[in-house]
Amino acid sequence: MTVINPNSISGITSITLPSGDGNVLTIHTNDGVERFRIDSTGNVKVGTAATISPDGDLFVTGVTTATTFTGAHSGSGANLTSLPAAQLTGALPAISGANLTGIAATDNVRTGILDVAGIATFRNNVNVGTAVTITESGIEATGVGITVANINGGQIGGRRNKIINGEFRINQRSHSGSSGHNAYTLDRWKYARSANTEFSQDQSTVTPDGFANSVKMTSIGSNGSTGASDYAYWRYHIEGQDLQDLSKGTSAAQPFTISFYFKSDVTGTFAISVQDANSRMCNANYTVSDTNWNRYVITIPADTTGTIANSTAAGLEINFWLVAGSNYTSGSAVHTWGSYSASSLATGFNAHITSNSVNLYLTGVQLEVGSQATAFEHRSVGEELHLCNRYYYDVLGPAPETDFAFAVGMKYNSTYNFAVVNFPVQMRTVPTLESSTTTNAFYKLIGGTVDDYATNVMSKGGLTGARIYPNDGNDDHGSAGNAVVLHANNTSACQLRFTAEL
Amino acid sequence: MAFPTNPIYKLIKEPIRNEITGVFKYRDTMLLSIPIDENNTDYQEYLAWVAEGNTAEAAD
Repeated sequence: MTVINPNSISGITSITLPSGDGNVLTIHTNDGVERFRIDSTGNVKVGTAATISPDGDLFVTGVTTATTFTGAHSGSGANLTSLPAAQLTGALPAISGANLTGIAATDNVRTGILDVAGIATFRNNVNVGTAVTITESGIEATGVGITVANINGGQIGGRRNKIINGEFRINQRSHSGSSGHNAYTLDRWKYARSANTEFSQDQSTVTPDGFANSVKMTSIGSNGSTGASDYAYWRYHIEGQDLQDLSKGTSAAQPFTISFYFKSDVTGTFAISVQDANSRMCNANYTVSDTNWNRYVITIPADTTGTIANSTAAGLEINFWLVAGSNYTSGSAVHTWGSYSASSLATGFNAHITSNSVNLYLTGVQLEVGSQATAFEHRSVGEELHLCNRYYYDVLGPAPETDFAFAVGMKYNSTYNFAVVNFPVQMRTVPTLESSTTTNAFYKLIGGTVDDYATNVMSKGGLTGARIYPNDGNDDHGSAGNAVVLHANNTSACQLRFTAEL
Repeated sequence: MAFPTNPIYKLIKEPIRNEITGVFKYRDTMLLSIPIDENNTDYQEYLAWVAEGNTAEAAD
């Protein structure tokens, strides 16, 4: 039953609109304004701001307030503009970075912290403000500079290269040609060999770019094959007190890196061995594939065993193998530190030299703390010579003039006179005096006379100087208290040097 | 036989205090004055030579 009252209608279960222009239902408020409409297509409109279509679309031009949105959402987010930041909370869903497009260059990513857990790859330069530019080739800072705790795990500045005369510029002995076994030749470098592996060693001007000298080693004693016991190596010793920053033998032990330039007439695999004073060793190989200058880099791992004594004694020995017979290659490779084994010193070596006149060149040798090789540390000739003088001091120099005065002293009593030689730097230990013994090679001025003599003797030596005397028997010239000046007489025959090599 | 052939070392006596301060040795044509210092490698060689039962010639 349908009941129609002035203020309400009840009991209606269906309203069917007429056809034609009347096929629309509207409801108006008392002021005549249409508030609700169902039109002939089924759209339901509330006022002018909200429309619900029969296919489920909802069009709202005013404020939408909802407690929960459920189900999948799709469509363009183009109209999601001016969203308050405070409303974007919680975790965003994982999306592909490919969809993060259209970010303006200056506006949209500019404040806060960019926290990248994985690898961040910038495919072009990175500018930090206006003072720092990071490119593929390096970092350029025009501002205050770079603040760092270390470089390559070691010191930031100062001397990094522990090798003295690594570019072979100093040759106080004026050495050229061959030498005996275990003999020092160019400063700080020693040559060891067996009977059939003689090489000449010469200071050379054949170098890679940026270097003035190298050492040239030429095979001159080959007998056509490499015997089991044949060996030759170029060796270098470092004082233990200069190696304390390696922390070797402790839990804080550091690796170190040896780099060098090498040029060889023969190709193949060469070897380097490193030994400490605790009968521990490590070796490494490098492969020479052409006859050009190439830089080779070898990192020696840290060793938590075998402390290097903080002393003037040798703490490390580095050997560059030139010839290695099977007695030195037949063992197991020791590429991490292990016990000394002669048969393992040069494992992997196969660059055998079986003829004479084969040339090998070496320069730019650097040993530094850390696992990276940095550019070679060039030092001035004067600085390098000063470092060499700790181990070898040629009193007369490379080319002394005739009548070169090298020491001043006094006549002590009727038969004994002495003079003092001061060293340019404190030597490693009290040195040995080596004096040539050529007749009349030296002379002394004393008491108004010129007195020739053949050789000198060190009567008392120290780290910073030595007292020497002419070894000419009982001297009958001058008298006690007279000054004595010692001279080189014949420069080609005169040699006077102090040695404190390792 | 005598220094420098056998023995190859000879003691050095310092004239002022009349004390032994080192040993002589020839290396090729060079006369070596080797101090008594155990860090000196030439002196270490001398000690090894002595340890083999050799004795240096007395000083003058």
